[in-house]
Amino acid sequence: MTPERRENKRDVIIEVTTNLMFPLILLFGLYVMIGTGGTGGGFQGGTILAAGFILYITVFGHEKGREKMPESINALFKSLGLFLYNGAGWICILFSMATAQWLNMPAFWPVSDFVGVPVSRSFLVGYMISVGIGLTVMASFVSQYFDLAWKEEDEMGGGGE
Amino acid sequence: MNLPAVKSLTWMGFVTAVLLTAISLYAVEDIPAFGDENSAVNKYIKLFSIDADAGLAESLNAGIVPEEIKTGIYDLGFIKGPTCEGCQNENYPTLEEGSYEVEYIEKGTWLGGRIYTKAGWDVLIEEGEIFYNEPQQYYFISDDSGELSVYRYNWPVRVTERTEEETFIINAVTSGLADYRGYDTMGEETVILTGAIGVILLMRRRGRL
Repeated sequence: MTPERRENKRDVIIEVTTNLMFPLILLFGLYVMIGTGGTGGGFQGGTILAAGFILYITVFGHEKGREKMPESINALFKSLGLFLYNGAGWICILFSMATAQWLNMPAFWPVSDFVGVPVSRSFLVGYMISVGIGLTVMASFVSQYFDLAWKEEDEMGGGGE
Repeated sequence: MNLPAVKSLTWMGFVTAVLLTAISLYAVEDIPAFGDENSAVNKYIKLFSIDADAGLAESLNAGIVPEEIKTGIYDLGFIKGPTCEGCQNENYPTLEEGSYEVEYIEKGTWLGGRIYTKAGWDVLIEEGEIFYNEPQQYYFISDDSGELSVYRYNWPVRVTERTEEETFIINAVTSGLADYRGYDTMGEETVILTGAIGVILLMRRRGRL
């Protein structure tokens, strides 16, 4: 009994399971990344998101993985996370006329006058900083996986560089 | 003199580098000095003050915490055991005889990563831990102008008590990660980004950046 010749030489069960699990892993990663008030955090959420993408790339190969996470989006996320983190500090410094410290986040006064110090502070820490950490961690890990993974022979596409 | 043509991406990168340098300088300017007693890590909490009469200082010098200070601390609820009928047990260290030591600290001493700007007595309590069985700093009694002020300091205990009041974040771990130690986390994230860029530069074989 000769095995059926498939284009990508992968297992159906693994592919279907990955297709089912991939959005759920991303959803759980987002839940962990944004749920800073509970058990979450930026580093952990970003790692779970990266694990979802790495599973997809492992199962479906390099080229299909590039469709899910293109290089341009990856480069954008990688730096956008750090921009969000530093932006939280910049917002506090600029809006308080350079009298605020980074850790003195209630000095984010135009917003904290309207919504109150707790809401603005938890927005800065829970969303800007945590999502920033998560985006950078996810994009960095996926990018490293793309760069370090060996391609298969027929995926090299002629090679010869 | 003709300037060479510069791509817009290069200008964006240059502006970003300038902004990041500025925020780094601001951060370095902003970080409190080591041992600063008003920095978030070292700040201690004042509990109460009592008049320094009837030989309280002599009692402290002899290594015994006087009854007045003990009852004041116990009244605030820092005891071992339940504070009320049917409450759950509190697990604060006790001030029973023999379980603590009292040390006089001179003004200006550098000890344990902090500078003592007031002279006073440190109350070190041995908790009977298995792996770290050392007396730990719990209370500080300063002697200023005829009044004994009792302070309480310990980083984890302070976090559990004061984190919501100071940072408005209900999660103590997040407040430590992103608020008290925000610069530390910023550096960690920069390290991750730098690692990814290093892998791109060293290991990428083909394709576009």
